[in-house]
Amino acid sequence: MFNKTIFKQTLASNWKLWGIFTAIMAILSAMVIAVYDPKIIQNMMNMLEDIPGIADMIGDRMDTMSLLAMLGQSFYSMQGVILALIFIIMTANTLVASQVDRGSMAYLLSTPIKRTKVVRTQALYLISSVFAMFLAVTIVGLFTVQIAHHGLWGTNYTKDIKAAAAILNLDDAAVEDDLTLILSNEDALKAGADARYIAEDVYRVYLNQKLTSRAYDAAAAVLGVDGDTVRADLTLIRNNAAALDGAAKVFGLDSAVYATMLDQSIAQNSLSDEQSKEMQSKFLAGISAAAEILNVDAADLATDMGQIKANPKALTAAADSAALIPATAFPQGTPATVITEQNEAAFLGIINGQLANDEISLDNGIDFNVKDYLMLNLGIFLLMFAIGGISFLFSCVFNLSKNSLALGAGIPIAFFIFQIMSQVGTSLEGFKYLSLNTLFDPNSITGGGTFWPQFAVLAALGVTLYAVGIKVFKEKDLPL
Amino acid sequence: MSLVEIQNVTKDYGAERGNFDVSLSIEKGEVFGFVGTNGAGKTTLIRQMMGFINSDRGNIRINGLDAWTDSAEIKKLVGYVPAEIAFPDAPTGTEFLRRQAELLGVRDMSYAQAITEKLQLDPSANLKRMSKGMKQKTAIVAAFMADSEILVMDEPTTGLDPLMRAEFVDILNDEKKKGKTMFMSSHMFAEVEDTCDKVALIKDGRIIAVKSTLEIKHNQNKVYKVEFSSAADYGRFLSESFVYSEQRPLQNQLLVNVHDKEINRFFSVLKGYRVRFITEIKYSLEKYFKSLY
Repeated sequence: MFNKTIFKQTLASNWKLWGIFTAIMAILSAMVIAVYDPKIIQNMMNMLEDIPGIADMIGDRMDTMSLLAMLGQSFYSMQGVILALIFIIMTANTLVASQVDRGSMAYLLSTPIKRTKVVRTQALYLISSVFAMFLAVTIVGLFTVQIAHHGLWGTNYTKDIKAAAAILNLDDAAVEDDLTLILSNEDALKAGADARYIAEDVYRVYLNQKLTSRAYDAAAAVLGVDGDTVRADLTLIRNNAAALDGAAKVFGLDSAVYATMLDQSIAQNSLSDEQSKEMQSKFLAGISAAAEILNVDAADLATDMGQIKANPKALTAAADSAALIPATAFPQGTPATVITEQNEAAFLGIINGQLANDEISLDNGIDFNVKDYLMLNLGIFLLMFAIGGISFLFSCVFNLSKNSLALGAGIPIAFFIFQIMSQVGTSLEGFKYLSLNTLFDPNSITGGGTFWPQFAVLAALGVTLYAVGIKVFKEKDLPL
Repeated sequence: MSLVEIQNVTKDYGAERGNFDVSLSIEKGEVFGFVGTNGAGKTTLIRQMMGFINSDRGNIRINGLDAWTDSAEIKKLVGYVPAEIAFPDAPTGTEFLRRQAELLGVRDMSYAQAITEKLQLDPSANLKRMSKGMKQKTAIVAAFMADSEILVMDEPTTGLDPLMRAEFVDILNDEKKKGKTMFMSSHMFAEVEDTCDKVALIKDGRIIAVKSTLEIKHNQNKVYKVEFSSAADYGRFLSESFVYSEQRPLQNQLLVNVHDKEINRFFSVLKGYRVRFITEIKYSLEKYFKSLY
């Protein structure tokens, strides 16, 4: 099939170019991984939102800015693609067309090695060099994730867990396993909140949210279904004693007590769309009122609600305008101050819930899914395999470098540009159908979309293009 | 059957380029020259022999194998000096030769060493900075080092200075003694005349003539140039019964065609004349082919 000697010689004269590109790519991807900080990304997103037009573009990507999602939208959409593209274009041309053009191919073909074997070996070099390139990028990337974010092996404890564990004089793992330990110790709670730079009440909500989520997972494990199924229908827990027990254990509560908590959650979840919409518009009215007092933009305030908590006047205004608990709900003759107080508490509850949510999404941002990461790399390899097929085909078809480059470089670059254009705005979206690059969509990998069919198309296309290139080269006349 | 059998081969590139209905046969141990002007179709035929180009019609068999389909098998017998000197990427000539030996399956480098010395080549130089002559020598070593039975050379002496050219002819003669079969193209008649047993002339893609150089060397129809002392002698000699291929009354010169059988009669007739000088005009391949053009 292949000739070892030719492969060795091809390697000897091409490894430098490979080394340079691989090093640059590995460093770039490592840098993107290393500098990732979910907090910065969140702030950046908030800033971008204010720029007209940009908000439309980023749109629903906002919530999904985990490390992988960000990698997918930066390195795996731009730098990684364009660098690999240039490497492939240069190498594919060097391997065949340029050697025929210069005439040096004569020396390979005046040996008793079959022409097909020569060209197959060159194809093998191109494919395996691209594979080795992304293998190196993957390995360096995994090490960087481990070093910068400790996300891979060993458990990474968040700062608050470490701080609380120190106060409690316990193992990090023990505290992580039982968050109620923090909730039941004032000092630990304070230390944990400080470590996260958030208020204690927010931290308390955060811990409770985490516990709730874990309780659902525990119940799901008992029920033998996945967590999402349980979250969609909490009555599953309510109606199963064993599940209820498992969930209650997470909180360190009695099943009966937990059941009451669960009933509240079920009631909340069963609010009709109309009701929750009403709540939302009430809440937004509160935000607007607070924004007026604070003299800031309401949209800015929505992303930084901590400001309301810091200003009692703003909170009062917000609570009054929102009137989450309508005055009619209070007994006749309740003093207005009491109504305001109650409403303030309710409003605060929602704010704290939101702030706690932010903290949880920060935690999730660092969550690194190795499988998704490998899929990203497999995907970009398959894309480059197919594109390599294009460049290699034209390298085999043409005897002149300039012609081989015109198409072997022109088409892949056009594909890249078309894809960029298709992302700029909806009016240019049609360009995505003109681009092979669309078949590798990092967002669908990190965002849980389908990608295997696209992968299969890329692989099949690559195999076909290489096979055609090899056949053409075998049968054509060579000016050597 | 001949070692190399070229039968009615045609490769038409259009506009009268390529080659047309070419037939040649080269025997084992023969040195075959292939002469023609630039663009006459020499390189095309060599590429067809090497299996780089497929013929439109006809076929080429080397040692009974088809030049196109069994190309790789044939390369076990053939060493090749391409017309273009472009080497693969290698830092030095030595490294290039080492890699080429690896591809050819040559383990013993002593023969390559011997040719390198004969050509006075220092292959350790940077391959890209070599002069044209050095590159050509390197290409020759690469083609010869497998000690192949057949050598196909496309204008192998380009870039060589006259001394090196002589050295190269020596090498070819040594190879010939070893019984090698050689096929070389050239646009220089003198060169092929010195080295080849048989020469084919190609013009506009068609073989015009195939001639044995021995025949040229042992040509019995000779031409002598005679200059007489006076116009009177010159005029008188014209009445003798010889064939005059050219008359130059201004210089009192005559070119006389004399077959070897007539040489004695020619000299006895000349005795009666006052002659200033007499020379034989060498009959060469060039003259022969020019007469055909």
